[in-house]
Amino acid sequence: MPGLIIDDIPVEVPAGTTVIEAARSVGIWIPHFCYHPALGSVGACRLCAVKLLDGPVKGIQMSCMLPVQEGMVVSTTDAEAQAMRRNVIEWLMINHPHDCPVCDEGGECTLQDYTIAGGHGLRRYDGKKRTYHNQELGPHIQHEMNRCIHCYRCVRFYQEQAGGTDFGVMGSGARVYFGRFKEGALDSPFSGNLVDVCPTGVFTDKTSRFRARYWDYDMAPSLCPGCSLGCNITPVARYRELLKIKARRNDGVNGWFICDRGRFGGREVNDPARPRAPRVDGVDVPWDQALDTFVLRLGELLATHGAGSLALVGSPRLPLEGQLLLARLAEIVSPGNVCWFTTAGEARGVLAALETLPPEGVASLADVRGAGCVVILGVDLLAEAPMMALAVRQAWRNGAKVYVMGISEWTFGSFLGISVTPVSSLDEVPPAERVKPVLIGNSRDLPSARVDEKLWGGARVALLQSGPNAVGAALLSVDHDGASLEELLASGRIKGVVAVEADIPGSWLAGIPFVAALDWRQTETVAVAQLLLPTTSWLEMDGTFINYEGRAQRFLKVMNPGIPLRGLDPTLHPPRIHRSVPPGGDLRPAWRLLAHLVERLGGRSPESPFTGRWERLRDLHPEGEGIMVYTHGSDSSEGGG
Amino acid sequence: MIPDSLRKELAARVREAITPREAAVDIMKELQRHSGWLTDEGVEVAAELLGLSPLQVEELATFYEMIYRRPVGKQVIHLCDSISCWCMGGERIMEQLREKLGVEPGGTTTDGRFTLIPCACLGNCGEGPTMMVGDTLHGRLTPEEVNDILCAA
Repeated sequence: MPGLIIDDIPVEVPAGTTVIEAARSVGIWIPHFCYHPALGSVGACRLCAVKLLDGPVKGIQMSCMLPVQEGMVVSTTDAEAQAMRRNVIEWLMINHPHDCPVCDEGGECTLQDYTIAGGHGLRRYDGKKRTYHNQELGPHIQHEMNRCIHCYRCVRFYQEQAGGTDFGVMGSGARVYFGRFKEGALDSPFSGNLVDVCPTGVFTDKTSRFRARYWDYDMAPSLCPGCSLGCNITPVARYRELLKIKARRNDGVNGWFICDRGRFGGREVNDPARPRAPRVDGVDVPWDQALDTFVLRLGELLATHGAGSLALVGSPRLPLEGQLLLARLAEIVSPGNVCWFTTAGEARGVLAALETLPPEGVASLADVRGAGCVVILGVDLLAEAPMMALAVRQAWRNGAKVYVMGISEWTFGSFLGISVTPVSSLDEVPPAERVKPVLIGNSRDLPSARVDEKLWGGARVALLQSGPNAVGAALLSVDHDGASLEELLASGRIKGVVAVEADIPGSWLAGIPFVAALDWRQTETVAVAQLLLPTTSWLEMDGTFINYEGRAQRFLKVMNPGIPLRGLDPTLHPPRIHRSVPPGGDLRPAWRLLAHLVERLGGRSPESPFTGRWERLRDLHPEGEGIMVYTHGSDSSEGGG
Repeated sequence: MIPDSLRKELAARVREAITPREAAVDIMKELQRHSGWLTDEGVEVAAELLGLSPLQVEELATFYEMIYRRPVGKQVIHLCDSISCWCMGGERIMEQLREKLGVEPGGTTTDGRFTLIPCACLGNCGEGPTMMVGDTLHGRLTPEEVNDILCAA
């Protein structure tokens, strides 16, 4: 490990580390545009200049291009280095338009920050600015090439990281252009990351264009509920409306990026038709009345049909807090009749997935990125969990062999720009190539995921699940002997269903006299329920999801619930009555409603949903790597941290 | 339109190359020879022949100075404006060409005979000032020679 001195601080880092990374490891931030931890160094922007005062290299150097060497003495504050950085900024600003007031990046722009930091305020160059024509890049990305500082981050992400071939860099010298051959929507399912990696406003999120400024955003660390991977995100909201979603770094999970489905999808939260008020038999009622009716009708049902007649149904999209309280409510009102899955197949798959993992355990996305051999077992990753596909591409870039079974190798490989080998069984993968192997499957079709441990020693397995909290649902199913609603209904005894953020087909509920729904989405179940208790979405509450690998992660409340200001009936704004909550904002997290019902029905509601073996999740930090609640052989062993 | 005969001939050249990508410049030059410049259709045909995306061909096409992605005159004049030729009076030659042809750098004469393009280095630094007309390189230019070359071209 070479030792060096940066700004009088001795640093020891592994060989191959660059000076900019070594400096960051001791908290020294060297300004940069083109360097990106996930995309590497190219030395294009010249901003990260430092001066080497002593050692094997001397003078001004680009810290992102310079591997550390023993005995280096680096100064980031040297007058010459500072002057260099100041001049680089001024030079980059020669062509940059002064359109910050009408630029969506304003306030969250690295170029803006460094221009101010470098003290550049007066223009000295009086030549013409270089200008470009912009392209229409589809519904998600706004293009404004005049703002470009040629850092090449976008093309490095798009082509190298994501394997896209329809976006790139054209021209040469000072005239390079970042765009497509012809106008049109970007092909890559990861195109939204251009917005995140661009250090200025060339690529901005078109879906939230001109909607808000950085300092007005409601933001909090959150999680993507789109699939079971648990990618970390930072949703951006204003006036109770989700405006956009940015990727949030988590090296153990999604790294720096997210997929377009996670970024641009999932806007149900803004739906004005969301359940906003408690409803009994189709009529909006006050909360007290709704809860009274719930307790009353539940009592009637149990009195008429007995304890086994009520089914309580959670779901893999219900946060862990709600899943736990559902179990508690079931203990009081209908022991043994609780489930967290709707269909029997889904329950079987997820439960069996917990059993089939090899001793070495599950593969995190980081494990997939570092794998030496990847076998994809009949799952269309680009459709089901795009970030897993991106992780496979990183493994391939690092030399891993990729095998696919039961899917079109052409579609998968060509879309990601990787070469894959089709096999019809695991045995066809040459034993010599089973180096740091990772098998990726889906809990739906478990048999194919079973591996012969002798042949596949050391294999890790990633089994995609049916929802952002499917593993939570599965663990509780094991604890409480829960099966699926399908099986409960098959018994013929069920006369009442309480569906908590569960998606039950309306036809299943046709003959059930009592159906209560707790949900924030306008689902089929909500439509047929006689009793509706509206809940907050995951953006309007703190909560916990357990991803496919058993990693419990916390998300925090991003915004207050309520009908978004945009789309609000103009007669309701400004409000002409005094009220303490915004219109449509009197919603409660499902777990709080369940806790309330537990108390009403004679139980004792805990202060925190996390008791017993879940207690250690109480103080789970949203910005850490999460806590592993499940690893093979024991579901309570510590991992991650 | 790119005729099928040309496509077949180019496809054969791609097959001869060790990797298709290395044949890219060759293919682009042939398509340019056919149309006078590399048309949008030409880029798409090249992409198809090379197994690349049109963008990947465009990245290469726009990088090279002598691949023309816009219509040019019958003869393209590349006049070097790099340092050696500039020291030897390249600027004066440029003035002369502008006047004589009646076009600005980058422009094409109204009769479609010449396109004037400044470029940075023709690899003939010992013989500055240098220009290239069509495929012919001319060094140690004097104003008289420039006139003769244009008349002969």
